[in-house]
Amino acid sequence: MTIVNFIIYFMIMVGIYALLSMSLNFQVGYAGLINFGQVVFFCIGAYTSSLLATKTGLPLLFCFLSAMIVSGFFGYVMSIPTKSLKSDYWAIATLAAAEVIRLVALNEGWLTGGPFGVMSIPQPLQSLFSMENYPLFYLLLVAMCVVGVYFCLTLITDSPFGRDLKAIREEEDLCLSLGKNTRALKLQAMIVAGMVGGLAGALFAHYITYISPENFWPIETFLMWAMIIVGGRGNHAGAILGAALIQLFNVSTRFIGAYVALGSDSMASLRMIIIGLLIIIFVSYRPEGLIKEKKKVYHLRTSQEE
Amino acid sequence: MEISQIIVNSLIRASELSLLAIGLTMVFDILKFANFAHADYAVLGSFLTYSFNQGLGIPLLVAIVIAAILTGVFGIGIDKILFKRLRTMGVQPVSLMIVSMGVAIALRNILRLIWSSRTKTYHIAIKQPFEILGARITALQLEIIFAGLLSMVAFHLLLHRTTFGKALRAISDNRALASACAIDSEKMIKWMWFIASAYGVIGGTMIAMEHVLYPRLGFDILIPIFCAAILGGIGNPYGAMLGALILAFAENIALALDLKWLLNLGGLFHFESIQLNTGYKPAVSFVILIFVLLLKPTGILRKE
Amino acid sequence: MLKVKNLQKNFGNLRALDNVSLEVEGNSVVGLIGPNGSGKSTLFNVVSGFYEKDRGEIYFKGERIDGLTPDAIAKKGLCRTFQIAKAPEKFTVLENMLLAAERQVGENPFAALFARRRINPVEKKNVERAIELLEILQLIDLKNEYAGDLSGGQKKLLSLGRIFMRNPDMILLDEPTAGVNPTLTMQLIKVIRELQKKEHKSVLIIEHSMKVISSICDKVFVLNFGQVIAEGTPDEIQQNDKVLDAYLGCA
Repeated sequence: MTIVNFIIYFMIMVGIYALLSMSLNFQVGYAGLINFGQVVFFCIGAYTSSLLATKTGLPLLFCFLSAMIVSGFFGYVMSIPTKSLKSDYWAIATLAAAEVIRLVALNEGWLTGGPFGVMSIPQPLQSLFSMENYPLFYLLLVAMCVVGVYFCLTLITDSPFGRDLKAIREEEDLCLSLGKNTRALKLQAMIVAGMVGGLAGALFAHYITYISPENFWPIETFLMWAMIIVGGRGNHAGAILGAALIQLFNVSTRFIGAYVALGSDSMASLRMIIIGLLIIIFVSYRPEGLIKEKKKVYHLRTSQEE
Repeated sequence: MEISQIIVNSLIRASELSLLAIGLTMVFDILKFANFAHADYAVLGSFLTYSFNQGLGIPLLVAIVIAAILTGVFGIGIDKILFKRLRTMGVQPVSLMIVSMGVAIALRNILRLIWSSRTKTYHIAIKQPFEILGARITALQLEIIFAGLLSMVAFHLLLHRTTFGKALRAISDNRALASACAIDSEKMIKWMWFIASAYGVIGGTMIAMEHVLYPRLGFDILIPIFCAAILGGIGNPYGAMLGALILAFAENIALALDLKWLLNLGGLFHFESIQLNTGYKPAVSFVILIFVLLLKPTGILRKE
Repeated sequence: MLKVKNLQKNFGNLRALDNVSLEVEGNSVVGLIGPNGSGKSTLFNVVSGFYEKDRGEIYFKGERIDGLTPDAIAKKGLCRTFQIAKAPEKFTVLENMLLAAERQVGENPFAALFARRRINPVEKKNVERAIELLEILQLIDLKNEYAGDLSGGQKKLLSLGRIFMRNPDMILLDEPTAGVNPTLTMQLIKVIRELQKKEHKSVLIIEHSMKVISSICDKVFVLNFGQVIAEGTPDEIQQNDKVLDAYLGCA
């Protein structure tokens, strides 16, 4: 692979993970929903879109949208127990739920291809571009999605809804006493987060053109957690930064492996050790992450202007 | 499959899981956070036991004891360096859980780095299994069940006949009151980590000997032990034992069940044998966990 | 306005509320006093929906509200403060006030995305009202400070401000002056009375200070061991034997 092609590949993956990271950040950093099963949106989005595309001949735009809708729906399902469960119990439940879905994908071969996964996933607008130019087009597509989602999420979080979510994160009882239906608010947040995660999954599936349950291990969720912990919880730019940094780290250690006398297995272990350490260090010493949440300051108009 | 075989298999699995679940439930109850690295501590100890026994030729029981002590110290150390600091800062338990996740990832991969990801098996002389009431059981498996029972009895004695046990129960009931009664919480917490980790090592070694040992084992048993602990009722070690037993039975029955009896709806349909794919075995604990959390998160037994 | 009938709440074997009945008229301030542990906060928690009752009925504006969720009750016009004033730490004082405003447009993601034009004027109006209230409470200079940085007394003022922002018909105040210095206490009391009179609200206030009770309450209920042992004007209950017994006995 040429350098340029590799950079394009890298940036596409950063974009896809940025979407997942923003989705997780929306749940954790805004609504205070500790989701340890985030990979499930990635998985459902990827499988929904690719299965619809390969089994029926439906147009890809429809497949992408379906992926978002199904993932969003699963977000709704996952939000149902939040009323009765404390956050650490809910976190464990989400971890379990994600694994169940992965096992379903692994075992129900008639639907999902089982361990062999889904192959030959069609790519959007493939006919319009040559083989060399296609990745560039896809990068543009992913970039547009990232910018679009960033913009939409910012609109959402800068609204009264966003304010309510943040308040739920910190003082849920207060919100109840002020008449906020916290259950409905969390539900809506999960649907939005699910949709964004599903979009990431679809983009991933149609880029790599092959997915299998191997892509959706729980470790993926924790990579996303590392991204929001390092980048900064509670703000979307931090999520994107975290995605870029963690991906950069992943990729650069692959190169170092060529120079240092360590087997690839050992390199992989070392990489994950550092990820674990990053999580520990940042949560312990810099829980706000690299990009902090900004204070919302109101300025009164001066009497002259009035 | 014979009922007796299901019972035997379940007893073995329950013995393995309960020792891990007991430690987890203690930590969850006293320190109020879910230690996601608990299973990995146990696997660390199992790897140490393996290296001592299979690598250095140290007799098994001695190896287990040394490994348990080392792992216990390790558990205390991690608490001192990481968790204690965060506890005194007054962070929410969720942050502790996230940090423990980081510890789990780091630890699992340190094990992978040191011992490689190839699975390890104990070289045990293969003997003819016994036949008890129609079920096959090897000497090793009998030893595991016996060791499990012994450990649980020991834990019961620990909890009720020692000052440590009494102090632990007092702290579990009411932390503020306990410290007012001059119970040194910090010291108790250290002992708690030690025992939780040590028991984990015993359980982990059982699993390693009966199946195989590999770095990812920590994650593979994490959800089952959470399931057992929560099902039995967090904070209740007998609950953890009960939860492990129920889970073990559920796992074995679920796979042996032939759903066709159910789905045939008394002759309406005619299905060929419909059984759960064995690939779903891990899912049993996940599904039970989800149901427990949805329906009765406090579990079966109340806190003592 | 608020009518509580034969309310009972148990915690295991402990009967925290034992056949409690009381009434709060519209446009009045009623006090609720009693020794520690007599069940005052429990009563608040049950009435506002945070705890479930075991027996009894609660009527608000003629409607039954027992069994409703706290947010549903708040929406009907019954709001409460907490004994330990709650405030999201990373919210500024002004944001706290805005949080409390009722019937805001844009409290769901769909509206946030597509109804921007409708949100802005409502926000502006809410900011203006918040500023108005903050000035009365003398918190206006702190409007852009994090709520987490406020003193305990200031947080209590903020709680009050949020409630008034919400504009409920009835307010449950849980020890609004506890831990607040005397000057600020007087200010708080003044504000409560002013705003209550101005907006014709009903207030049920838990207090330990008889001075506060005497200065603003029209009527007082006294609780002891989960039971109502006396009711009357502040003067009447100060001379009531049972009340004196309860307090002296638990000194």
